[in-house]
Amino acid sequence: MAVDYSLLETGSKVSDQKYTLTHEEVDLYLHAVQDDSERHLDSSGTELAPPMALAALSLRGVVIDLQIPGGTLHVGQEMEFKDAVRVGENLRCIASLASNNIRGDWRFMVVNLSVLRSSGDQVMEGKSTIMLPAENKIE
Amino acid sequence: MKNLQVGDELVPISKLITMKQILMYADASGDYNPIHIDEEFAKNSQFGKNIGHGMMVAATISELMVRNFADAWYKTGKMKMRFKSPVYPEDKIQTSGSIKKSENVETGTQITCSVQIVRQDGDTIISGETSVTLQNP
Repeated sequence: MAVDYSLLETGSKVSDQKYTLTHEEVDLYLHAVQDDSERHLDSSGTELAPPMALAALSLRGVVIDLQIPGGTLHVGQEMEFKDAVRVGENLRCIASLASNNIRGDWRFMVVNLSVLRSSGDQVMEGKSTIMLPAENKIE
Repeated sequence: MKNLQVGDELVPISKLITMKQILMYADASGDYNPIHIDEEFAKNSQFGKNIGHGMMVAATISELMVRNFADAWYKTGKMKMRFKSPVYPEDKIQTSGSIKKSENVETGTQITCSVQIVRQDGDTIISGETSVTLQNP
């Protein structure tokens, strides 16, 4: 279904996805970002997910559900990590629209991000500012 | 972790950005925006060539914080940044930071850092601020 960005209202939920970060996904992520620093474990010896892998996960649903068009630019990002997450935990990533404005040839959208673990506790929150070509309406 | 003080520099990180890495990050993140992965699309963009994902580059800031503050970053890390300039394949980047503020908070000592990523020509790619709270001994 097409996304008409001009109809998206502030406060509306734009994405709600569930993921499980696996060891294979974490390995791929760390390889992609060339991070060879020490892997961190929790007290039971389970590997912890890199915080920025969580942030990337929280944006994945936004990219998919909002059908973010080619040429969209990421201009700002805020994040707060509230607890360590073990690899293999079930996570829910929710995104809602904080603002949606046109400036010149671009549409600026600010999206609030929240990552919850299965208990419902929030492990990360954030805010992404993206700019999309203003005329964009995906078919 | 050594005893850090205001004005101290964090140990910097240097990396070479490659197209292979950008393609791998697209797979890892699920972000297949053609500006990153499609050569023809990128040629016709305002950049003239592919650019790396901002979050891929920003990951080096998180790495910087983990290397300097270990587990505390996982549980109490905060980051606010602006993507100021694109990064291209074959760019060499350096991620660095310094301690701007140290203050006592209810849960320990909150350390605030100024962080930035610059490329080989001196242009700033990302600038921002991070903070982490260290539990008092």
